[in-house]
Amino acid sequence: MRAAPSGEALPLPTRSVSAPGAGRALPVRATLAAAIAVGLAAAAWRLSGEPGGARLGLSLVFGALFGFVLQRSRFCFYCQWRDYLVGGDPRGMLGILAALAAGVAGYAVVFGAWMPDPSGIRLPPDAHIGPVGPVLILAGLSFGAGMAISGSCISAHLYRLGEGSPTAPFALLGTGLGFVLGFVSWNPLYLASLSEAPVLWLPRHLGYGLSLALSLALLAALAWPLLRRLPAPEAPTRIDPLRAVFVLRWPVWLGGLAVGALGTLAYLRVGPLGVTAEIGGRSRQAAGALGLLPDRLEGLDTFRGCATAVRDALLTPNGLFIGGLVLAAFAAALIADQFRPALPTRGQVVRGLTGGVLLGWGAMTGLGCSVGTLLSGIMAGAVSGWVFGFAMFAGAAAMLWLGRRTGLLA
Amino acid sequence: MLRKPALLLTIAAGILVPTGLSAAPDPAAKPLKDGATREARPNTSQESPLVSTEWLEKNLDARNLRIVEVSVEPGVFERGHIPGAQNVVWHTDLVETVSRDIAGPDKFTALARRLGIDGDTTVVLYGDNNNWFAAWGAWVLAQYGLVDNVKLLDGGRKKWEAEKRPLDTRNVEVAPSTFTAQAPSPKLRARFADVLAVAKRERDEQILDIRSPDEFSGKVIAPAGIQELAIRAGHIPGSVNIPWSKAVNPDGTLKSKEELKALYAAAGIDGSKPIITSCRIGERSSHSWFVLSRILGYDARNYDGSWTEYGNAVGVPVVNLAGTIWGGK
Repeated sequence: MRAAPSGEALPLPTRSVSAPGAGRALPVRATLAAAIAVGLAAAAWRLSGEPGGARLGLSLVFGALFGFVLQRSRFCFYCQWRDYLVGGDPRGMLGILAALAAGVAGYAVVFGAWMPDPSGIRLPPDAHIGPVGPVLILAGLSFGAGMAISGSCISAHLYRLGEGSPTAPFALLGTGLGFVLGFVSWNPLYLASLSEAPVLWLPRHLGYGLSLALSLALLAALAWPLLRRLPAPEAPTRIDPLRAVFVLRWPVWLGGLAVGALGTLAYLRVGPLGVTAEIGGRSRQAAGALGLLPDRLEGLDTFRGCATAVRDALLTPNGLFIGGLVLAAFAAALIADQFRPALPTRGQVVRGLTGGVLLGWGAMTGLGCSVGTLLSGIMAGAVSGWVFGFAMFAGAAAMLWLGRRTGLLA
Repeated sequence: MLRKPALLLTIAAGILVPTGLSAAPDPAAKPLKDGATREARPNTSQESPLVSTEWLEKNLDARNLRIVEVSVEPGVFERGHIPGAQNVVWHTDLVETVSRDIAGPDKFTALARRLGIDGDTTVVLYGDNNNWFAAWGAWVLAQYGLVDNVKLLDGGRKKWEAEKRPLDTRNVEVAPSTFTAQAPSPKLRARFADVLAVAKRERDEQILDIRSPDEFSGKVIAPAGIQELAIRAGHIPGSVNIPWSKAVNPDGTLKSKEELKALYAAAGIDGSKPIITSCRIGERSSHSWFVLSRILGYDARNYDGSWTEYGNAVGVPVVNLAGTIWGGK
């Protein structure tokens, strides 16, 4: 079996810096991780006790669980795609398909209870079902290229922030800038194309049963060629369960199933999974304050997806989701001894910023990223999720090919 | 002495009867909660247009009761509503979506039938945001003749949640009604010409503007975060300003009848003259319409054109206390 290249999955620093817990003995790291877990639990408890805070508390919990699952299973869209393209290992991509299959089934159960008849003019509340047109394809291509340059998608940069990645902070900064560029280019795109792009929801046309069957069949068709390239199974070894959960990487299919379940539960109680609403909303607020935005963003707030409406509250559900994600990923990385902070090299800064700008522009004009538009969209039966997904993987493959040819990307 | 099978039967009956256990899955045959009534008409005091959260929880299973949620925020109903409640989306179900109007008779007939509402059904409306849109719903229902049988849940969703009463995520199936809507009654709705006549002192009526003091004075055209949908700032001449929120206690319930009477009397509104309620788009004002018309029994009409119609009209008198020009100085 070929060893899967790590890409930027586990950044091994060339120059380590001293940071709390880094490389220290297990008791120190475990204590710090436990303190973070207790702190998160206390914050969730405190929030849920305040009037109207139940949603905030739950968002924090879901964010923390999502961060833990992402970190433990290395659930990163780009790394899995790269592992397959460069190393020929299909297991990661199968994990992503597992997440989609579990979520598609889970969403169908929820939809059936909420909207017994999907055939009318209504869409299920706040499900990420976006407009399908050329802008969505451009957004997906841009997002994919951004993943290839910066080393991963936005959600993976967030969990890697918790692993001490030197690239992630710059990629996220670039994402914010990309969002501003997206807002600036929004009105012409809206008037030229988006305003006439259809919002296509499979259950409206097929009913829940057929829509579910079609989605699962598509996922199975995508899985089929991957399954034929699986590496030979490893000999079973006895593993300590605690070590399997907290130290060893989870198989990606396991993380995928957990993501599918989390996506369903989060939609049932709070809203679809998504990691860019807060980044987008804060970018919009900042750009608005600096006078960089047009007076009115046509039609933007009427679309479904990771809403970027300007926030007036300090704590928002999506902000807490992101906070929980990063902190839980940090705690998980500490226990597993995968917290490896490093000083960034110039290449990492440049790749992070440029890739981040492409990620941000794609996530803004695509009304979400690989989590909000792709995962939550496909789970909801949105055609927009599929279109964004195909464009995103195509954009990443093209940029990776180009980068490797020119020697700029590994 | 009873024989063995008969004894078993007696014991089984003794266990089953007091719990009201029934093998039939018929929702109408659900066991009743303590103190519940199951009369043809739930035992609300017919003169009160409000029901309490406590009453509603006890009567959730009452026959001929329809509970309807009208909330603004999407997904609120679906993620948990009062058990047995049905959902109405105000901006598609209660209005025409192309022209600016309340739902027409055909659309309203279809809605009422879907909800299983008839002239003798008790309807309890509730929603988020202090029942704003539930009150709007009550105003629309009233125009189609559904007045006395329509109640608001006092305190709305906020109080129900604060009291940690149960929520449900499942949908209830009700038998459709045979209700047929006639043309809506014009008696509860003020039109632009009515308001203009009052503004020009051609008619002796009172206008109650329930917007915030800053909107009323003309300092701002619309509340923060809401698009300015009018070209001019200020208010209709002759109107008085009592923000809707003054009618509400901190827990979301409406103030007592006496307090409400005193509140409006202090601004000269005592029911001796017909009243027109107005705001920006006519929904917050339906909250005050409900208070004046249904609770105090005054002759009140809601002006749903409100400031987004009047503030855009050409050649009408306007009062702008703040002296803003195009919303600025």
